[in-house]
Amino acid sequence: MYKITRFQIYLVLLIALFLQGSVVNYVKIMGSGPDLLLMIVIFFGLFLGPAAGLESGFVAGFLRDIFALDFLWINAVILALSGFIVGVINTQFFKESKRADFIFVLVFTALSMSLHYLIVSALVNSIALDFWDFFISSAIPTAVYTGLVSVPVYVKLLDIYHLKEAEDYL
Amino acid sequence: MRNQKSRILKVLVVIACLTALILTSKTITSPFRIKMIDLLSSSLKGADSFLNSFRRIMPFAALREENRLLRARIDLLNRKIEELKIVSSDNDRLKELLNFRKTIPFTTIPAQVIGRDPSNWSNSIIIDKGLSGGIKQNKAVLSTKGLVGRVLEVGRYSSKILLITDPNSKVGVMIQRNRQGGILVGRPDSRCRMIYIALDSDVMPGDRVITAGFGTIFPKDIIVGEVVRVDKEPGRLYKSALIKTAEDLSKLEEVMCIR
Repeated sequence: MYKITRFQIYLVLLIALFLQGSVVNYVKIMGSGPDLLLMIVIFFGLFLGPAAGLESGFVAGFLRDIFALDFLWINAVILALSGFIVGVINTQFFKESKRADFIFVLVFTALSMSLHYLIVSALVNSIALDFWDFFISSAIPTAVYTGLVSVPVYVKLLDIYHLKEAEDYL
Repeated sequence: MRNQKSRILKVLVVIACLTALILTSKTITSPFRIKMIDLLSSSLKGADSFLNSFRRIMPFAALREENRLLRARIDLLNRKIEELKIVSSDNDRLKELLNFRKTIPFTTIPAQVIGRDPSNWSNSIIIDKGLSGGIKQNKAVLSTKGLVGRVLEVGRYSSKILLITDPNSKVGVMIQRNRQGGILVGRPDSRCRMIYIALDSDVMPGDRVITAGFGTIFPKDIIVGEVVRVDKEPGRLYKSALIKTAEDLSKLEEVMCIR
């Protein structure tokens, strides 16, 4: 079995962060772009288990917290929880199916964005955006876009990490 | 297996503590974060130069550069024309009222965008100027086309700008044609909405939106964008309008910070 090191996980997260802050700005459609960091965290949770999902989510969220102008630690908490939950329930899904992966990424992107909205709206009373408006105009397009991007990226990552057979997964 | 469980437990405890920390926080600004950005500013500049040089070595680089310069010039001239229109309409209005007021002139500091927000919630940019470059907190930031946002976190060598499209941003604005006021709020999908427009207002698509000059952050009469759609929500006492910003904020390269 091929062993995935921490360095490899963090390197992919750093590349995703760099692309998220540069290239993604140029490929946005109607103001929404794919959430590459969350997509990578879901990958680690899905294929390497809850510990890897939790750890990669925490690191990815912390990196995002540094560069974003948002409540500090909020992304670390949300991404770590997403990675962890994906890791815990990963055995319930047929991970080899691209369609299942797509739906998984889509649902978790929408859920994590909704959680973000709920936390921020609980902290900031004056937020002038209602939940359904946010969900329809922002969460759903981002979730669909992230899900679509995840299909070829997951194939490539599975190839890079030599996760070709079911016994290679956690 | 046991080791892994204890590791997960430890991280979950840390997450619980951080959640408590978030729930007690009152502001989105953080001195810790801007110090980190200061430390990383040279790497950000390096990454930005790398991206810029990559763009330059692409085919037709010379034409691209010339095109960019000419477009910037057109933008600048358009902005001057718009400013003159504003001055002219102000002049007429003020002459009519026999109450002339001088608009306060302002000087700006140019800065380069070296980083962008990697989040799908907030909309901000990082610039290469900080306290040492004369940047101050809560000052307006402009581009050649119009309003960009305001300085929210200032480090020694870098600053973070809250864009007008951020959900935490609120700007007092008005419709240039009929002087009807409202508040411009940002949305996570990089668009803006003008809220609290009076029900009897005849605001329509194509109307230009400018800053109202309320408060101390944004000077008056800076172009913000134009009305795309007007909405009347049932049960509300006000209208709202979807606004297209004058500048494409996702592709900003240089900005000007008001001193």
